[in-house]
Amino acid sequence: MMPAFLEVEGLTKQYGSLTAVDGISFTVERGEVFGLLGPNGAGKTTTISMLTGVLAPTAGTARIGGHDIRTDLAAAKRLNGLVPQDLALYPTLSARTNLSFFGRIYGLSGRALRERVADVLRIVSLEERADDAIETYSGGMKRRVNIAAGLVHQPELLFLDEPTVGVDPQSRAAIFDSVRALNRSRGMSIIYTTHYMEEVELLCNRAAIIDHGRIIAMDTIQNLLGLLGGGVIHLGVANADGDLLAGLRALPGIRSAEVMDAGSPAAPGEEAAAASPGEGMQITLTAERAREAVVPVIGLLNARDVDLTGLEILEPNLESVFLHLTGRKLRE
Amino acid sequence: MGALRIAIKDLEIFLRDRGWLVQLFLLPLMFILIFSGVLSGIKSGEQDERVSLTVVDLDGSAASASLIAAIEAAGGVRVVPREAAEAEALVAELQIGQLLTIPAGLEAAIQSGTPATVRLQSHPDARAVDTEAVRVVVEGAVQDLLLEAQIIASLQQVGDMQAALPAEQQVFDEERILRQAREQFASSKERPLVTVSQQMAGTASEGDSPDMAHLAVPGFAVLFVFLAAQATARSIYDEKRVGSFRRLLAAPIGRAELLAGKALPNIAIVIVQMVVILGFGVVGLPLLGRAPISLGQDPLALVLMALAIALCSTGLGILIAGLSRTENQIGGLSTLLLWATGVLGGSMIPLFLLEQVLGPIPRAVPQYWANRGLENVLLRGLGLEAVWPQIAVLLAFALAFFAIGLWRFDYE
Repeated sequence: MMPAFLEVEGLTKQYGSLTAVDGISFTVERGEVFGLLGPNGAGKTTTISMLTGVLAPTAGTARIGGHDIRTDLAAAKRLNGLVPQDLALYPTLSARTNLSFFGRIYGLSGRALRERVADVLRIVSLEERADDAIETYSGGMKRRVNIAAGLVHQPELLFLDEPTVGVDPQSRAAIFDSVRALNRSRGMSIIYTTHYMEEVELLCNRAAIIDHGRIIAMDTIQNLLGLLGGGVIHLGVANADGDLLAGLRALPGIRSAEVMDAGSPAAPGEEAAAASPGEGMQITLTAERAREAVVPVIGLLNARDVDLTGLEILEPNLESVFLHLTGRKLRE
Repeated sequence: MGALRIAIKDLEIFLRDRGWLVQLFLLPLMFILIFSGVLSGIKSGEQDERVSLTVVDLDGSAASASLIAAIEAAGGVRVVPREAAEAEALVAELQIGQLLTIPAGLEAAIQSGTPATVRLQSHPDARAVDTEAVRVVVEGAVQDLLLEAQIIASLQQVGDMQAALPAEQQVFDEERILRQAREQFASSKERPLVTVSQQMAGTASEGDSPDMAHLAVPGFAVLFVFLAAQATARSIYDEKRVGSFRRLLAAPIGRAELLAGKALPNIAIVIVQMVVILGFGVVGLPLLGRAPISLGQDPLALVLMALAIALCSTGLGILIAGLSRTENQIGGLSTLLLWATGVLGGSMIPLFLLEQVLGPIPRAVPQYWANRGLENVLLRGLGLEAVWPQIAVLLAFALAFFAIGLWRFDYE
């Protein structure tokens, strides 16, 4: 069996007593688009910084194309392309000069360099403004040059760190097209970090959900969404007994019904309270199709004369998965 | 190669930044014009433009009085008589430009034909032209004094010889008397009874004295080449702020190579600054009706001095970048380490005046050594054998700045 193109093992980064990344492990196959999904401060950028050699890991390691980042970092770096979250460009220089500079840093020169620069300008659709200073560009255009600078040396593994932050919808769509094209036509492996769950759903084959420096879930997008079945219904009720739970489970389209206690993942302290649908007891129902199942659920509660103090329907998306796993919203 | 590519890119960015170009190349020329005019104006504003010559007369004879009168009568020199103790105190404090000491027994020495020496001392930072004028006047007055004594002595000899002979043998006619006088004059020139010894007060090793107006050229060259350090620190900060530093760290180049790439442009900029500013001193000042500066007698000394200054300025840039975490900190540190120490190091006030007020304190800053070294090479015409201590001190400062800057540098 071929080893994965990227193998991460127990990667850790500590700043004094603060653990920014806490022993994460994952793999990325050649040609795969892998999402790192998590809120701001979850440890996504620190993870990327370690994998690209910007930061030294406190513990653990990773192999990129078989090159260990602890012992063979220079070779690993040659396979990587980094598109940082910031617009890491020189604003008074033109796009062509910026791209030529980053190409030269990776050892390109002469005709090969000129052709590569022309190629990436075409990928990000900026040939016409290539010789204008970047400071005259719109925000979206700058983002596209930022991506092009990470592509000019033809990396095999591209790290895209929150590439759509502050981007207008048109440029965002252009960036999505570029990512798809790079992956499909050039077979480039891509690690895509974002806190926009819809971007991961749209672009990635697999994703890891990261929170407080730890991976709390990792699977294909389909399987991650499957954690919620067809959706989740959170009920707040004044009281509940075994008969009520049995009745709920017997309803059509309901897969499971559980009373959420203080130790459940949906109720971790204050954050759980924020996500709580109401006072009293909380019941979590997993449904095949949450919106359709909610009508008979309310009917049953009325029939049993149970006061409904809160109701929340979680559609089957990664935002809901994150909320389901952490009790917090992704963008909090 | 990575360092060179980063350096070329940084120079390209620098050349597009008009603010830096004005600050590092145009401002020093303007300051030189203004300050060289101010320093020249100090001289031209004096009531009495004659050169002051302090005279200590230890002989108190008619001959010494005649010598002093002859010096004053020559014009251009104003005699300031002082007591020996007072004059010595002023010499020790380096507050006397020119001092003439007439030794006790001068008159007796002249009459007996015994050699005697009058001593002329000059301050190391006195204007060269003043020192030369005083020397010429004093030597001329001494020669006149001797001439008078020699004529009298010659005629006395002739009279004595005539008187010693019988009347029929007194054959000295006019021709013989004149020949005797000429031989005596020739003898006085070959074996002078009174010589003038000239020396500098204070540091004798730094030889000739610079023109005050010309001090502005090395002074502002030093001030502004050190200001290039701020551009280097700012460039590193900007790379970190926009994230391109992170992108470069992710590229297959080492951290040392990256920092070398950031440091090299500073060295190049400083070298070009030196060429522009000194070139202005040589070519530009005459075009504006001012006297040109000299580039000295030792090109190797000038090149090595410029390289040492460039390394020191670059080290300061890395130090400021290493110690600063915000843009405001860069501004604050630059004001302290570049402007304040530039003034303290003699870039705006002549070093001998600073040292009179502050003693050895200015020696604690690198700009002092840069100013001293450049003045020695450019204005005093000294060579490598005389300025290597200043070069060594500048290199030591550079090493310390690089070490502290790299130790404190935050790559993350």
